[in-house]
Amino acid sequence: MLGASPRFAQAQVQDASPIRIGLIIPLTGATSQFGASMGAAAKVAADEINAAGGVHGRKVEILIEDDQSNPEAAVRAAHKLIDIDKVVAIGGSYASAVTSAIAPLCWESGTVLLTSSGADSITKLPHQGYIFRTSPTVTLQGTRVGEFAVELGGKNMFFLGPQTPFAQSYIDIISAIFGKAGGKGAGLIYEDKKTSYRSEVDQALRANPDTIVLGGYVPDTSVVLKDLYRAGYTGKRIGFSFGVNPAILPAVTGEVGEGTYSLVPSASEKSDAYRNLLAKLNRSSLDSYSCQVFDHVALTALALANAAPGDPSGAVVRDNVRAISQDTAGSLIDSVEAALKVLSAKRKVNYDGPSGPLDFAENGDVKGVFFRYEQIQQGKLALVKVA
Amino acid sequence: MLAVIGQSLVNGLMQGALVALPALGLTLIFSVLGFVNFSVAAQMTVGAYAGWLVNSQLQWPFAATLPVAFLAAGLVGVLTDRIALAPVRAHSGGQAPLMVAVVSIALNLAIESALRFSFGNDLQSYDVPVTRDFRFAGLLLGPQELLNVAIALLAAVALAVFFTRTRLGKAMRAVADNADLARLKGIMPNRLANLATFIAMGLAGLGGALLVVTTNVDPSTGSRLVLIVFAASVVGGLTSVPGAVLGALLVGIAGELSLLVISPVYKSVTAFLAILLVLLIRPNGLFAGISAVRR
Repeated sequence: MLGASPRFAQAQVQDASPIRIGLIIPLTGATSQFGASMGAAAKVAADEINAAGGVHGRKVEILIEDDQSNPEAAVRAAHKLIDIDKVVAIGGSYASAVTSAIAPLCWESGTVLLTSSGADSITKLPHQGYIFRTSPTVTLQGTRVGEFAVELGGKNMFFLGPQTPFAQSYIDIISAIFGKAGGKGAGLIYEDKKTSYRSEVDQALRANPDTIVLGGYVPDTSVVLKDLYRAGYTGKRIGFSFGVNPAILPAVTGEVGEGTYSLVPSASEKSDAYRNLLAKLNRSSLDSYSCQVFDHVALTALALANAAPGDPSGAVVRDNVRAISQDTAGSLIDSVEAALKVLSAKRKVNYDGPSGPLDFAENGDVKGVFFRYEQIQQGKLALVKVA
Repeated sequence: MLAVIGQSLVNGLMQGALVALPALGLTLIFSVLGFVNFSVAAQMTVGAYAGWLVNSQLQWPFAATLPVAFLAAGLVGVLTDRIALAPVRAHSGGQAPLMVAVVSIALNLAIESALRFSFGNDLQSYDVPVTRDFRFAGLLLGPQELLNVAIALLAAVALAVFFTRTRLGKAMRAVADNADLARLKGIMPNRLANLATFIAMGLAGLGGALLVVTTNVDPSTGSRLVLIVFAASVVGGLTSVPGAVLGALLVGIAGELSLLVISPVYKSVTAFLAILLVLLIRPNGLFAGISAVRR
């Protein structure tokens, strides 16, 4: 009703304060490759929600904070968003170290945390249902990389990655998969922010690996790739989307990066939701993480719209997310605006966003994720397969 | 095992030689002006970006980019010193060295932010081909790395010659030794301060450019290295030219050798340990007394 009558909606909005949704995203630092597009995607979501009349007549306001790829800065940002701005939910939250640091602040204050981080440990925290993860877990990503490497004929794997909450899990998971296939695996965790990894690379190559898994972010991965090349390594290299993505290409030109594989969580690329987001951002493609942040805002707004009008809070969001994202009785809708209209007509909604179907397990992990397997071919990331 | 140690030594020397240049800059400023200028880190990045601009954007040959890196960092160094640090030096009395050092940390952040604003967060690479290493006596050596080390050492020797053979160099040492006495002799400490800052920051810029030729430059390049640069300078005694070079080589080698016994995650600990040990055992630096700028 509100959505169908914009003039009425506007009249309502003028005397209602906006509902605030916080975003903690990496705009600077080692993990900042997707930060800007995450922010832009979130704004598109907010614009769509507000164009549809907002949530129960109240506009949605996005507050963006830069985590500087640094957990300590993220904690300061989270305190500001929770204590001063009184946000109902915090979205974005990309690096696992950042998410792990701010998670306790969120559940203690009853604020929903929507994250695009991978570390399994995050949803194992006692989060009382306040954490929703839209990104595939490390276990899932590690398993896929391990299986893919074995598929490519790998027998001896070595993992090189910086100290993160997920580095050791990767080593264990991928080594186990190699072990089962009759091969072996090992790994080395290095210090990030170094200008050279020569001795680390030398140490890795002493194990004579035929497959090197790159577990780092873009700055360190680019240096490791160069040092691997210099050291004469010619075997397979497989990275993850947070390390091997378009941002690394200018830094690893020619033979240095050529042939390196990357496992990329796939956005819902065939969906109208994805195409709509692309059009609004005026882009030809978009990473999964930015699509996820769009959905962080969308899920928050739809969850609040599903509840009775009243005092919006993190608890209300928490209790209503699954009702609007995975209720099989609800009509499948992949547009926020349309979903808001259906909800205001007191009908049920099953929202699918540009990032995927958004069905959450009991612990908050998203289910049913697809991956793109990409490879650097002639200096560009080419699609090998989707699975 | 011997080959592994040998390779670690080589890797450490290559890292150390490049860190030696900014460490020399830090040492030079401390000797002549009497404070630790932490903005040396940002000046490394300034030099790295200046070199990248002319090499990668204007397609100048690699050799021609190095004077540009030196000049750019030197000029920005003098300019920012005049704007931000000189006024503090003039007005903070007895606490001056500490005050100026703290302000230089702020200056470092300001320059880094200005670079981030101008060039963005993306990684930038020099237009210099990455080549496979060659094997020599069982050790892997990179042609570009060897060239870089040679350039760094050449710059250090040039600085030593400047101090011992030229009037200006000798005047600078006189100011470092006793500024009041030097003034009585007709030496103008202020002009020398500018020159010392120019040379010191130029060296930092050159070091920054050499460091990123084989890797990438981003706005935080210099800041990532400030600890190891500071450690090298402290180990060298903060006032000795050969001390700074030896300190840098020592810290570089210690970092690489440490990987044989500790997890790579703790590599930076070696730099902290070096500072701690030197301050505990020989507070004037391991190499204090040999050819100090300040005698």
